Amino acid sequence: MTSPWLLILGMAVVTYIPRFLPMLLLSKKEISPSFSRWMTYIPVSIFAALVASDIFFWEDGFTINPAINIKLIPSVIVFLIAYKTKNLMWSMIFGIGGITLLWFVF
Amino acid sequence: MFSSKMKNGVAASMPIIATYAVLGMACGIVLYDAGVSVLGISIMSVMVYAGAGQFLAASMLVLGAAVPSVVMMVFFLNLRHVLMSASMSTYVKEKSFGFIALFSHVLTDESYGINYTKFREGNWSPEEAMITSVINYSTWVISTIVGGFIGSQIQVNTIIMNYALIAMFLYMMVQQFISKEHLIAGIASIILTVILTIVLKHNIALVIATILASFVGYGLEVRKNRRQRPVTKGNESYD
Repeated sequence: MTSPWLLILGMAVVTYIPRFLPMLLLSKKEISPSFSRWMTYIPVSIFAALVASDIFFWEDGFTINPAINIKLIPSVIVFLIAYKTKNLMWSMIFGIGGITLLWFVF
Repeated sequence: MFSSKMKNGVAASMPIIATYAVLGMACGIVLYDAGVSVLGISIMSVMVYAGAGQFLAASMLVLGAAVPSVVMMVFFLNLRHVLMSASMSTYVKEKSFGFIALFSHVLTDESYGINYTKFREGNWSPEEAMITSVINYSTWVISTIVGGFIGSQIQVNTIIMNYALIAMFLYMMVQQFISKEHLIAGIASIILTVILTIVLKHNIALVIATILASFVGYGLEVRKNRRQRPVTKGNESYD
């Protein structure tokens, strides 16, 4: 990895500012409702971007053939389990189990 | 007096300790797997202390992302703390600058959840909130270091390990589908990420897709509210 210290410093700064400044300077009423509503859309967008940038690509190429890109089928399973059970443990067990199985098969 | 506060603070952090220990070890393993040394992991946990952010960093480092892309994604992910931090300000108004500086550093979703509930119930002091938060913090730091050591000792299958992260992010994505607009934002983000990654061939695609998709969701919500003209919703989710 190129520069772990720069990465850590950068992460520390951008993590601390949103935690520290509002507590020091603001009360909740001073935050605009539109800003706080917009913020609710960020986590879903981030997680979706992280998932998409990984599961639809195999060896650096866009691949939606489930026989080559073995991450696709376990992802559908994880999605359904996460949606139905809302349980992190089950989602991960089935996801990791699925990919392990396919990894040995292919 | 002090010892009873200590006892309350420790008791309140109990449910979090177990979760942080497991997640922290997993986080240490994937960070080591992504190329961060055990020393790097310890300093990251002490200075950054952001579970989701550290998992995100591990995942993006594996993808070969550049430092600015990772830092920007961590920033957006942590913006959610703005509201929690502001809502805590009421309870620590009388405390010193140093207290607030430390207390805000140890603010996480879980610590906030516990402290906010306790403050609202009454019978909760800033000192007890601090003790709870610092115990959660220590648990995270120690367990990520342990995870780093485990990662350095065992050979993990990279594809399977990375997939564990993806399964976790998939789960977190699904849990964020709290309205039709949030679902559409998620779908928009997936489509935009794929297109932009193919076009730009750079991980900045994730940052751009995230911002655009969040505005898609928010825009739809604004349009819906204009049509229905309901009472403004404000920030009730953290109230």
